[in-house]
Formats: sequence, C-alpha cells, structure tokens
Amino acid sequence: MITSVNGAFARRFFSSVAAVSLAAVSTVTAPAPAFATEELNALVWCDHTDPALVEPFEKANDVKVNLKDYEGTGAALSILEQSQPGDWDVLVIDGVDVQRAVGLDLLAEIPADKLPTADIFPEVRMEANNMKDGKTYAVTEKFGYNTISFDKTKVDPADMKDLSVIWSDKYKGRIALYDYYLPMIGLVALGLGKKTAELSDADMPAITEKLSEMKKVSKQVSDVVSSQTALATGEVDILVGGGEWITAALSGEKPNLDWTVPDQGAVRWAQSIGVMKASKKQDLALKFVQYIVSPEGQARLATSSCYWAMPANMKAGEHLTDAQKAALRWNDQAEYLKKTQLYPIPSAELDQKMQDAWTDMMQQ
Amino acid sequence: MRDMMTRIASYAYAGLIYGFIFLPVAVLVLFSFQDGRLPVPPFNGFSLQWYEAVFADRKLMAALGNSFIVAIVSSLIACLLGFLAAYALARYKLPGSALQRGLLIAPMTVSYLIIALGLLTVLNTFGIRLSLWTVGIGHVVINLPLCFAIIYSSMGDHHINIERAARDLSASDIKVMVLVTAPMLMPSILAAFFLSVTFSWDEFIIAFLLSRFDVTLPVEIWSLLRSGLNPKTNAIGSLVFLVSVAVLAVLELTLFGRTKKS
Amino acid sequence: MSTITLEDTERRKAWGFVAPALLWTIAFFVLPFLFMAAMSLWSRESGQIVRAWNLDNYIAFFAKDSLFKGLMNSLEITLIVTVLSVLLAYPLAWIIAERVPKRFQRLALIMAVLPFWTSYVVRSYSWLLVLSKNGVINQTLMTLGVVAEPLEIASNRTATVIGFVHFFVMLLTLTIYANLIQLSPNYRRAAADLGANGLQTFWHVILPLTLPGIMTGAFLTFVLCIGDYVTPQILGGNNELVLPQIVMLQLGRRADFPMAAALSIILMLAVTAAYVLCARWLKIERA
Repeated sequence: MITSVNGAFARRFFSSVAAVSLAAVSTVTAPAPAFATEELNALVWCDHTDPALVEPFEKANDVKVNLKDYEGTGAALSILEQSQPGDWDVLVIDGVDVQRAVGLDLLAEIPADKLPTADIFPEVRMEANNMKDGKTYAVTEKFGYNTISFDKTKVDPADMKDLSVIWSDKYKGRIALYDYYLPMIGLVALGLGKKTAELSDADMPAITEKLSEMKKVSKQVSDVVSSQTALATGEVDILVGGGEWITAALSGEKPNLDWTVPDQGAVRWAQSIGVMKASKKQDLALKFVQYIVSPEGQARLATSSCYWAMPANMKAGEHLTDAQKAALRWNDQAEYLKKTQLYPIPSAELDQKMQDAWTDMMQQ
Repeated sequence: MRDMMTRIASYAYAGLIYGFIFLPVAVLVLFSFQDGRLPVPPFNGFSLQWYEAVFADRKLMAALGNSFIVAIVSSLIACLLGFLAAYALARYKLPGSALQRGLLIAPMTVSYLIIALGLLTVLNTFGIRLSLWTVGIGHVVINLPLCFAIIYSSMGDHHINIERAARDLSASDIKVMVLVTAPMLMPSILAAFFLSVTFSWDEFIIAFLLSRFDVTLPVEIWSLLRSGLNPKTNAIGSLVFLVSVAVLAVLELTLFGRTKKS
Repeated sequence: MSTITLEDTERRKAWGFVAPALLWTIAFFVLPFLFMAAMSLWSRESGQIVRAWNLDNYIAFFAKDSLFKGLMNSLEITLIVTVLSVLLAYPLAWIIAERVPKRFQRLALIMAVLPFWTSYVVRSYSWLLVLSKNGVINQTLMTLGVVAEPLEIASNRTATVIGFVHFFVMLLTLTIYANLIQLSPNYRRAAADLGANGLQTFWHVILPLTLPGIMTGAFLTFVLCIGDYVTPQILGGNNELVLPQIVMLQLGRRADFPMAAALSIILMLAVTAAYVLCARWLKIERA
C-alpha cells in the first residue's frame, strides 16, 4: 500500500521533472546537430568505440551508432538487467558466454546465409558456442590470447616457455597479474596440467593454492592501463595474462616487449557479436553485424584504438598492411591456435567460487 | 636570530609542501608535450601531437560539452533550490526547521558511491533510462546541501531590516527576494555556484554509474585510461587544468576582486 | 483573527519556498537510500534478485574474510590519510595566515589549492607516472645517489596514501586557514600577558580555538576518502581492496545489487560512526 502510493507519487514527480527537463533540453541542446535519422544501440567491448571503425558504417547507412563499452560478461548482464526490453540492438559478448545469453533468451537467431561463415578461420567458428539446436545466434569477430607478455631484455625468454614461471621465485616482485579472474584461473589450470573446459569444484583447492603462490611472487594485480604502464616503465618485467592485445600497440616504442605461448599452452579468448532478440531494428542490427564481420570491418576492428588482436575473418588480411600483420603475428596463428584452450565456462556456483578465490587472493 | 630561524624553517616547509602539491601537475603538463607514445621519462622532445589528437577526438570533445552542460544546469538548479530553502528557513519560523536543515545537508555526509548506487536502484525500478539528465539529478543531490549551507550561513539577521524596509515600501515578497535579498547575498550565491560547477565538473562515480551513451569528461577519461597508456590523457588533463586556471584568474580579477573592495 | 490568516499565508509561502529543495532531497536521496537499505536485505540467486527478506548479505560480510578485510583496509587507509593530511596541512595554513604578508595571502592560498582543478581521474593517473620505478621521483633520487635501488612506492598502499594525502592537504589547508584568520590577535596577546610562551599559547589557546576547523576538515576528509573508488583503483595495484572497490566488483562482475547495497550500508555506518565522534564540532551557523 505504502509502496504503491510512494510509487505513484514518485512517478508523478518524475514525470513532472521529465516535463521540465524536456523544456530545458529543447533550449539547451537546440544547436544539437540533426545528425542521423536512425539510431542503433550497441553494448560492446572497448575496441568497437573507435570512430575509425564505426564512422564508415554510420555514413553509409545514415545512422547514429550509440556505443556503450563494458568489461566482463557480468557487467553486460548487469547493464541489460537495468535496461528496458528493446533498449539494445547489438551485443558483443565473450565467445564462451554466448550460450549464457542464449539461455537468457537475449539473442536473436541469425540466418546462416547472412554470415560469411566460410571465410572465418575454422578454429574460431566455435559452433558449439555460437549455435544452439542448429540455429546460429552469434558470430566470432576477433580473438587473441591471455598468455605471458615480458620484456625480453630483462628476463630469459627461455624461462617463459614454462608456465610454472608464473608462480616460481625466480622473478619475484617483477610480475604483474592481469585482473580478470577467468583467463587467469584458466592459465593456472593449464599450468597444473588441467583442461580449462573440464574444471570443476574439485580443482579449486589446487588452483587456490597456486593463486596464493602467484600473489606472493607478484608485484601487483592490475587492469589494462596499470599493467601496460608497469610493463612499459619497467615497474615489472612479466605480465601474466597479457598478450598481443597489450603489447601490439606499444611495439613501435618498446620493441623489447614480447609475448609467447608456453609449452603447456595458454588461454584463448574470442569475442562474438549478435543481434538482440528484443531489438526493434532487427534489419539494421544485422546490417551492423554484417559490417563488423566483413573484411573491411574486420581489418578496422583488428587494429582499433583500444586494443589490437586477430580478426576472425581471414579475408581481413587483404585490408591489412604487412606491418600490421606482423604485429598481429598473422602467420603464427596456426601454431597458437593448436596450443591454446578457450576460457573456462563455469556454472553459476563455480563462477562464484572462482570470483571469491580471486578476491581472496587480492586481499591476502 | 631565533625568529630568523623559524622564518627560514617556515618558508622551507611551505616550499616543500608546495612542491608536493605541484609535482603531479608539473609532470602531467611536461609529458603532455612528449614526443612519443609513452608519458614517462625520458622526455624525448617537444611535440604538440597529443593536443592535436585531443582536438581530433570526437568523443572527448563531446564529453567536454556534456560536462559543461551538466555542470552549469545542475549548479543552477542546486543554487536556486538552495537559495529558496535558505530564505524560507532563515526568514520564517517553520515547524521542524532544525529537522529540515538536517535533511537538506544530510547528503553531504554520505559517500558519492552510495548516492549513486541508491539512485541507480530507484531509476531501475521505475524504468527510467540513464542519460545525462540522471547524472544531473545526482549532481544536484550532492551540490544542493553545499549551496544551501553556504547561502544559509551568509543570511545574517542584519539583512532582515533592509528587507523589512523594502516590504514597508509595499514590495511583494517575491520582489523583495529577487531585488533585495538575492543581490545582497550575491557573493555567497556566486561562491556556491562556482563551487558546485567545480564539483560537478570533476565528479566521477555518479557520472559513471548513472550515464549511458553520452558521458561526462571524467568518465570519458576513465575509458581512455582503460585502453592503455597514452600521452593524450596528459594532454586533455593539462588542457582542463590550464583552462580552469584561466577562468579562475578571470573570476578572481573581475568578480570576486570587485566584491572584496566594495 | 486576521493575524492568524496572515501567519497562515506567510507559512504557506515559506513552505512553498522550502518545498522544492525538500522534495528533491526526499525523492532523490532519502527514497533511494531507503530503497537500497531494503535491497540489502534481499539476495541474488542464479542471476535473479530474490525478494526474500534476510540478513544473508550482512552475515556473508562478517563470514568472508575478503569482504571484512575490505572494511579494515578502508578504515586503516582513511585514518592514516586523515591524520597525515591534518599534520601536513596545519603548518602550511598557519604559515600562510601568520608569516605571509597580508596582501599575498589570498594568492598563496589559491596556489595551495590550484591543482584541485586538474581533473580528478587525471590526478591519480599522474601520480602513477610520478611514483613508478622509472618515474620522476625514483629517477631523481637515483641520479642524486640518495638511493641505489628504486623505491617501491607505486602500486601499493603507499601510492594510494600519497594520492589521497595530496588531495586532502589542499582541502584542509583551506578549511584550517579559514579558521585561523578568524582568531583575534587579542587571544595571543592575552596569553602572552599571562606569561605563556609560544608553544604554550599554541597548545592551550590557538589549537583549541582552531579545533572546530580541524574537525570539520577531518570529517570531510574521512567521508570523501572512505568512499573513494578512483584513487585506490588506479594507484593501489589491487594488492589490497578497499570497500568501494569491492562494491564496484559486486556491480561490475556479477550484478549483485543486494550485496553492493549491503556493503554500502556498512560503509555508511562507518561514516556515521565518524560523524558521531566529530558531531560536537560540526555546525553550520548563520553569520
């Protein structure tokens, strides 16, 4: 009773505020450019926010693409939960989490003939992730590795061939850990000789123990900018969880930065893109997805300002320079793909345990 | 002699603290001119390329404009509401006025993070879309107590007689307020306004949690940071600093300088 | 009778003036806060918010070391920062008020708070550059031969504290200065007449008189410091997490609003405790 009265009151209050606001908007933002007839809302990873990627699409279709970037699937689901159905048209999501989104009935089916599936590297088509019951819900657009980045003038590159270096004493205090629990726990699992796809509760004690050893020998646990700063300024010499996405952009200034995939392997990430089921602009959203996975879109995405990484469409190679291909290590991909495994896909309970293990590690 | 010693010690101490206060700003500005991709020593040489990059960045420029609009509009609202409330509470005997005063300044004692989170849950529940307006609402919440407190504390009882005189000349209440009270309190109203603008301009967590596509400058800088090390961050930081200082200098020399003399 | 009607209209007018501010505060501050308090008693299970009233989130807070330690880290850092900032700012405020010639005082004060106008996020980031192994401080110290090995002052608690103290020294210099110049020189003269030396005058006269200013500033420092996310996130190197970082983790990684709400309420209680301790010095009064 009280809440409904409150609610009614609040709604009336909000609507009057909204009316005042609207009046104010029209005066304040009067010179706002009559930009485009239509708008498309996309929830994406930060590499999509590069104007060089999006502007060609906006111009070609006379549309304004509104982009909101997020980190980690949890954050995306949180944002979607806070939105109204129909707020979002396009979603970029971790390849391994597509099934989660499909399970929540978030993604629309994409007709198979609308996608350049044949041009996508077979290893990253990820049918098991992007499809369900024979229907396609998303398409892989970009991939890369969470492995070991290092300064080759300060450490022995041969040591980086063995994953156990990440918890050994040899480089104590010179290691930074990338702050995202999933790939990091995946790396630890690989170092322990486990498969990322088969992780279960029973593996957590051993993983927790190794996390704690890692924390002891590390200098910091950090997000992208702190990791990059630390590596570039010599604060640390090794970044666990790094890869081409963190060193490629610095390759010109800091040729001493390198990355490798150890003998035990490394974790591979892949991002997929799909159309939101509740979108009221299905056709336009699909058009955007098609643009992103087209050879031109893929080349721009691979070298976009937030981070560089391999495009999923092999025809993107035609639009990349040799220097760009070299920075992406285009020709080494076959070997890397063979040696790497996807992110772990934990159940909700295991996911909670992994997050707790990670938070505990930071607090220790 | 001893006085001399304390004098030297004083200036040495002040020098040290000033050095500490200016160290990060100096480094920030210096490396905004870095000729190279890394804003850390060694300094490779002087270049304006990062400033060009800032002006070419459509998103940064849009964020700059958004920040400006949000700061001005939210501060105007906060000052207006704060002034009206201060006027009512200082001039009329209202029941529970102590409670009302407490309520109005309460947000000052609560962390911005909590204010943002509370607003976020309510906005979600009512299905209100996040936008610059929701950021503005949050900024009024944090600035209203400030405006109220500043204006209220400058409303001395000695002003009452002037207002009464005006009323005796049969001016209406609203007229008295607009033509007599507000001008008398202008210095503190302006102080409240500029302080609000500063706080809103610089506020991060509310703007971060309550915005969607259009973001304010601190939020845009935050995403710039997330994409890695880049002297562009230095350039936009320096730019904001230098412009703010210029505005401050102009205000100091014109507005506040004059009120001080009068 | 007519006086009552007059009073009534007056009163109605007064309510009209104060109502917008009150309504705004209630709609966008009190209501959200109550909402959040209610939500902290709900829980999140398998991706859905469950409106079952219980204390699970609070129990989890005390049961899980990583969460409880977040509060402890927050309190420790905030106390260190508050004390250090007061100790550093007081002498500066005193020097500006007592040693700097009158006509330069305003300039000296503005200079002391000028870096406040760099963007807040950028300020933490520039400390990251200053404090790093290759940063200005370490490079200078090593060139001068003061230290042989770079100091470990980046990406840890030291860095967070330095970043915070920098901001709050500026703030406190301002509040303490405002307090100092209101002191009448008569107090000092009277104390001297009664035979007090400089230190005694300071300890028994000046300090007690400036205590309200110090406490107001200290309380402000406490509130802003304990609730801040940006500085520890950029400078702390995630070697330990403070409460706001844990709140943001709940939001960003698992959309667990109820847990974030519960942690915020706990944060709020810490601030309330500080308020109670400082309450007798915190007042707004009309001139």
